[in-house]
Formats: sequence, structure tokens, C-alpha cells
Amino acid sequence: MAETLVHAEGIGKTYGTVVKTVALQEVSFELQAGEFASLIGQSGSGKSTMLNLIGLLDTPTTGRVVLNGHDTTAASRKQRAALRNDFIGFVFQFHYLLPEFSVLENVLMPGRIAGVAAAELVPRAEANLALLGLEGLEKKNANDLSGGQKQRVAIARALMNRPALVLADEPTGNLDSVNTKAVYKLFREINEELGTAFLLVTHDRGVAQQTDRILEIQDGHLLQDVRNEYLAPA
Amino acid sequence: MLSLGIAARFLRKSPVQSILIAAGIAVGIGVQVFLGSLITSLQASLVDQTIGSSPQLIVRAETDGDPVVFDAALKRAMEGQPEITTVVPTRSFSAIFRQEAESAPLQFTGGELAELDTIFDISGRLVAGDASLGAGEVLVGKDFADAYALTPGTAASFVLPDGKPAELTVSGVYDFGSAAANSATAFVDGAYAATVLGLEPDQYSAIDAQVSDVFASTDVAESLRGEPALSGLEVTEWQEANADLLSALQSQSSSSYMIQFFVLVAVALGIASTLAISAVQKTRQIGILKAMGMGDRQSGRIFLWQALILGIGGAAVGVGAGLGLIAVFSFLGRDSASLFPITPQVGFVVISFVVGVLVAVGSSLIPSRRTSKLDPIEVIQGG
Repeated sequence: MAETLVHAEGIGKTYGTVVKTVALQEVSFELQAGEFASLIGQSGSGKSTMLNLIGLLDTPTTGRVVLNGHDTTAASRKQRAALRNDFIGFVFQFHYLLPEFSVLENVLMPGRIAGVAAAELVPRAEANLALLGLEGLEKKNANDLSGGQKQRVAIARALMNRPALVLADEPTGNLDSVNTKAVYKLFREINEELGTAFLLVTHDRGVAQQTDRILEIQDGHLLQDVRNEYLAPA
Repeated sequence: MLSLGIAARFLRKSPVQSILIAAGIAVGIGVQVFLGSLITSLQASLVDQTIGSSPQLIVRAETDGDPVVFDAALKRAMEGQPEITTVVPTRSFSAIFRQEAESAPLQFTGGELAELDTIFDISGRLVAGDASLGAGEVLVGKDFADAYALTPGTAASFVLPDGKPAELTVSGVYDFGSAAANSATAFVDGAYAATVLGLEPDQYSAIDAQVSDVFASTDVAESLRGEPALSGLEVTEWQEANADLLSALQSQSSSSYMIQFFVLVAVALGIASTLAISAVQKTRQIGILKAMGMGDRQSGRIFLWQALILGIGGAAVGVGAGLGLIAVFSFLGRDSASLFPITPQVGFVVISFVVGVLVAVGSSLIPSRRTSKLDPIEVIQGG
């Protein structure tokens, strides 16, 4: 039986104190290690909020998130930061590369934050860049790359600490169709090669249907949680 | 040391901003070093000019005009004070200089030249003639000599306190750097002064002394007053006679401290505001670093490191600029007698440097706190 990576139980999120906006209500699901899943829904449905809560970037108003066996309900900011660094790789719609650093330095960053010396990390960072077809760009400044290249560097960075889970929020939102296809193909390859679990937030059903499992959120509720019949591996 | 590396990179990638902050610190510390050294040296020069070449402690008889017997007990009592560096017995009298229809009063001090030199440094300040106080010789000040066209070898006529005339030969002319001292004093041989005053060989008008720390004169005088060997004698010290000067020096120090304080406040505000802007500019980077797992403390340290780097760099340049200004000031005033030498105090320069670094680091506390409190979700949600 696969190991449970994310256990989300009765998650609710309400913003505001005077005027309250309910973003999520009673959402529960589990994500197993190595899964390739998507989270879909209309704009404003609460899918990014859900991703941020699982990624420990935000705290739920109700419910709890257990990440790789760690109940994060009472975790301190320091513990949450350490869990993010250990278990999660983030890919956002915007690449969020650090413009002051080179491509290689950007990719090294999660490992450096974990306290590992740069020299020790370089072989893995170079392997990640090679996996993403970015050989030869190591010394380039992050600002000097094309949109697709930047997003691939962001993916290489997300994979640096060999996270058990990659959370990707509309990762191809700023890319053309060719690059979009390439990025999802890469995600699938990494998932299969490294066993990294993926939870992809998208509003594009076409993209979602290329994943093995679709979680659909509507108006802050989990509307459905289905295995994808069409492209699911045998 | 990741936060140090990030701090250094942030600074390097915003060179104009970094240079501006460092320049602000440099100007502040440069002013601090220059102004502080200027005021300290000015005060030292004023004190030196006022009392450096004069006795800082004088022991006289309580009854005006009575001689002081400088016996072994008195000598021991005075030389036994650790702060006293020089003890010189002197004989003083007033005489009137006469040249045709003109006359001028002069205050004569009689003593052995070698001993007088330890206080007045007459030999070192000689501008004409020889440093000699033989029988019948007199050393006069430059202004006095100029006023009456006296040159070495010239005979000068005087009327002594008892009304008798006397003729002395000018052996040399000295310059004490003060017109008052140069035009109203003269030095003669101690034995001659004893004759004029009718004193025995062990009798003197006063015993002059100098102390190693001029501001310790009050304590030394107090200590001397308690000595049995000084009973019946009166001890005066320079601070009692120069209260106005001391008050002026104190006021000058206070105004200097105020100026230095406000310069540092201005520097601190400048750094704080620029670093705060820098922190806002780097919000996205800090947010994503935190999303990747960087802790609050580590991220907060980025701006502390920035401030430390800028503080050390800026303060070092500031110290260099301050010392450079002092060098320029000294160079321009090398030939001017009215300018005083500025001597930077190592301790003060080091303190200024440390203060510069501390002000920079202190100014980074607000941006550093802001950074450590930043929630990555603010950046992620804000796009």
C-alpha cells in the first residue's frame, strides 16, 4: 500500500475578520506518494487556497493538514519552513526566480537553505538542469532566459531537495501551447523517473485529463475526486 | 552563511543604492572623525597655549612678599606627588624698562636656565641669540624686543623695584606664541634675582610645578595642602585662575557632541530609510526564499548583514576621508602660526568606526524585522 503523503482533514479557510469570505469548507482528501494528480476548478473556487494550505504557505481556519506523517496544526513558523524545505517543491504561474542569481545558483537555493554546501549540491543541480534540457545555461542570469526556460529552471529548483511532493499552481499559465505541453510532459517524466508526487492546480480540463487523478473544487467544496479513466497508467 | 552571501549579492546587484548608503555612512563618520579631532586638538592647543608653558601649580608664602624656603622637606613633599613632573624654584620681581623717553613694565623671572626650560622651554622657543642666562644677561620676548628694537647683544636699561638702575645685556629673544607673554616677561639668572630681591640662597619667591595631567592639578593642589612641609604656604593651581577658559572648553565639547550626535542621527535615518526601501524592493525575493523554507531569522539576517557590510565599508571610507581632511587641513596650515596642529586620537578614530558600524546595524533593525515577519503567502498571492 502506498504511503500517505498528504492527509487533509476537514479543511476550511475563511479570510477577513469583519467581512468574512469563506474560501474553503470541509475539504478532506489524501494524496499518496508518487501520485500524479490535479486540482481543478473555476477561478476563485478555492483551488490555489487549497494548494497553499497543503504547501504550508498558509494556515487553515479549521481542520488539519498532516504532511508525511507530521501534523502541522500546531507547527511553528520555523517547523513549517523546515517541512516546506524538506518535503515540498513549488512551481508557480510566475517563475519567481531570483534575478540577482545565476540559473545554477537559483537551482541550488533550496539545498543551500537546507544548509548543504554549494559544492556538494552542484552535481545534482546540473543533473536537474540537464533533465530539463537546460545544459549550458548554468552561468546565465535568470533574467536572460525565455519564459519557457525560466519556468523550467523553476521546476529544476523545485526538484533540488528531491521533494516527495511538487505543488504546481497554474505552472503553464504564462507559457505558449508548445511550452505548456513540454512542461507537463516533463512533470510526467519526473513523476515516473523519480517517484515524485505532483498536485497540479489548473483550470484547464484538458491538462487535468492528462493526470491520474482529478480533484475538483467548486465554491470552496470538494465537488469530486475521481481517477482519470482515460490516461491513467495500467 | 547563506544570508551573508545573499546580502552581498543584493548589494552588488544594486550598486548605486549600495554606494549611496555607504557614502552616507562615510560622510557621517568622516565628519565625526574630522570634527572630533579638530575640537580635541583645538582644546589641547588652547590648554597648551594657556598653561603648557607656564606653571600649573605655584607654591607661595601665605603672606604676600614673604620668601619661600625651598628646603629638602618641601622638595621631597612636592616631588613625592606622582602627578608632578617638574618642580622649579623661581624668584620674581617687576622692573621698568627705559629707553629714552619710553618705558614699559616687565615681569622678571629668575632661575637656572636648565630648570626654567623644563617649564617655559625658553631654549626651544628661541628666535634670536643664544639661550644663555649668565651674569648680567637677560632673555626677552619677541614682541618686546621688536617694540624697542632690541637684538642680541643690545644693552637694556631698567629701574629695579628698589629704584636703582640696572643695565642688562639681551642674550636672546624667545617667542611664546602669545603677544602678552612676549611683551611682558623676561628671564634672568637666579643669583641676580636673589640679589635684586635680597634673598638668601635657599629663599625663593615661589616654587613652580607642572603636572602630567593638567586637569589633575586640583587634586594635586589639594594633596599638597595636606603636607606638613607646606604649612604656612599657599598652593594655587591653574584651574582656579582659568574658570572662564574651562567653562568655554566645556561648552565647546558639549556643542561638538551635539553636532556629532545629530550627524549620526541623520546618517541613521538615511540608512534606515534606504534599507527600508531596499527591503520593500526585495519583498518578492524574500517571499520566495521563505516559500522554499528559509526561516524567519535567517531571512531577517540578510538585512543585518547588508547593514554590517555597508557599515564596515562606509565607516572605513569615512575614517579615511576624515583623516584625509585632517591631512589637508594640516598641510594647508603648515606655514600659518595661527593654525594649530590636528592630531587624530587612535582611540577616538576606533570609536568613531565602531559607532558607524553600530549605527548602520541599528538602522537595519526595522527592515530586518519586517523581513523576518514577512509571510511568503503575501508574495505568492500578490503575484
